[in-house]
Amino acid sequence: MLRAAAFARHLRSKEVVTTMNKIMSNKTATQEFATAGSQYKTAAAGVSGQPLVRISNLHKSYSPTVQVLKGLNLDMAAGERLVVIGPSGGGKSTLLRVMMGLEEVNSGSVNFAGQEYICADESKQKTKINLDVRKQIGMVFQHYTLFPHLTILQNLTLAPRKVRGESNASAEERGMALLTRFGLGAKANAYPNQLSGGQKQRVAIARALMLDPKLMLFDEVTSALDPELVAEVEQVIMQLAEQGMPMMIVTHDMWFAKNIASRVVFCAGGVVVEEGTPDEIFNAPKHERTREFLNRVFHI
Amino acid sequence: MSYSFDFSGLSQGYDELLDGLRITVELTIAANLIGVTFGFIVALLVMSKLKVVRIPAMLFVEFFRCTPAIIQIIWFFYCVPILFDVYLESITMGILALGLNLTAFNAEAYRAAIQSVPKEQHDAGIALGLSPLQRVLYVVLPHAVRSSVPVLITNGIGIFQQTALVAIVAIQDLMYQGKALATTTYRPIETFTLIAVIYFAISFPIAQLVQAIERRREVASR
Repeated sequence: MLRAAAFARHLRSKEVVTTMNKIMSNKTATQEFATAGSQYKTAAAGVSGQPLVRISNLHKSYSPTVQVLKGLNLDMAAGERLVVIGPSGGGKSTLLRVMMGLEEVNSGSVNFAGQEYICADESKQKTKINLDVRKQIGMVFQHYTLFPHLTILQNLTLAPRKVRGESNASAEERGMALLTRFGLGAKANAYPNQLSGGQKQRVAIARALMLDPKLMLFDEVTSALDPELVAEVEQVIMQLAEQGMPMMIVTHDMWFAKNIASRVVFCAGGVVVEEGTPDEIFNAPKHERTREFLNRVFHI
Repeated sequence: MSYSFDFSGLSQGYDELLDGLRITVELTIAANLIGVTFGFIVALLVMSKLKVVRIPAMLFVEFFRCTPAIIQIIWFFYCVPILFDVYLESITMGILALGLNLTAFNAEAYRAAIQSVPKEQHDAGIALGLSPLQRVLYVVLPHAVRSSVPVLITNGIGIFQQTALVAIVAIQDLMYQGKALATTTYRPIETFTLIAVIYFAISFPIAQLVQAIERRREVASR
């Protein structure tokens, strides 16, 4: 069984590496990426010298006894691809949900591009969220969360039309372009239940991209997928990475973490225990807890 | 069984039965119009955060759900005129009683459907920057209305059969005409069998439609 899993991982790595080589050898595509990449970099360039994201002293508890975040601090520079790993209940997903304004916090704050946009108001026990700043962040969830009553294309155009007041024609044109790029052009008029899990998740990524996010959050986006569908979703994220999209990824897929991360953060017990390059974390973890976690994950 | 059926005598009453059926269908359609629209409004009131709105709405729903329909009808016919000094045509009273009864049951159907919209759908709406009102309009309601359709139709068939109860307050519906025919022909078994067949012939195809919708949804959610 172990060997089979390792072999599957190996196959998958070859598959994705081949795709990435293909992407890189395709000149137009590379140029497109270069332009797109610079576009993302310009977005972050206005804040040179300071981190793209600064998470300060986040505390969050669901009840007096269940404390999920215990003073979490984390900085992310522009252009980084941060992968957050760690045991279940360690606060990884909660961190992303807080950054998206989906969870209240007890104390602490989050800055994006130099602006504080999430801040606990301890006197009122409420969390203040600056929506204009938060709208620059896109998120993809574990369970696709496509709107079942809308076609794929309508799923993509809903938010641009309603939130930004974009015209239907313009939103549909951008939506089709995005779907075609993700190999889903033929599915534009299908409904979510007619798609495979992998296709749904790619649509969910496209839907988030429709709002031109400056940062993408991926919360265990491949955890609910059948193993053979994981690669197609990871490839799409790899493509985005190639274009220079800053991203923060929570995943249990260590192979994926190793390959996409510019930096890996090990999160447990509601704090960041250790961070470093993929090589440092996976090959030479310093903390006992990190070692223990990786041992369990890799069944060594 | 030595009873021999003889339906031949019933033919003299066909016109009256047809008139009765027309009244029954009118009652059903009117009650459903009330139930489908006001049920939705009551469902929203029941889910309101304001107690002054929520509690009366809940009392309304529970009154109609927890008392027999026949008592509600009698109450409308005999008590409402005396207590509230309101005198309406008997058919209007029948429509009101049945319509409000259906309103209560449909309100519960809508409420269940709205509350069954998964939390992830709300999260996705928030993540895409939709405002609370936009999330309700474009995410929650389409979802909820669709999943409530089978229950609404089932409740609608239920009220179609409940209309038979208004015969006791002299509304000349299908049941009333049947009772009259049974008395004039001395053929109650044949008459009520025929009437049962008529109710069945209308309800059954609609019930099948509900099943078809549910089957389709099951396949779709796979």
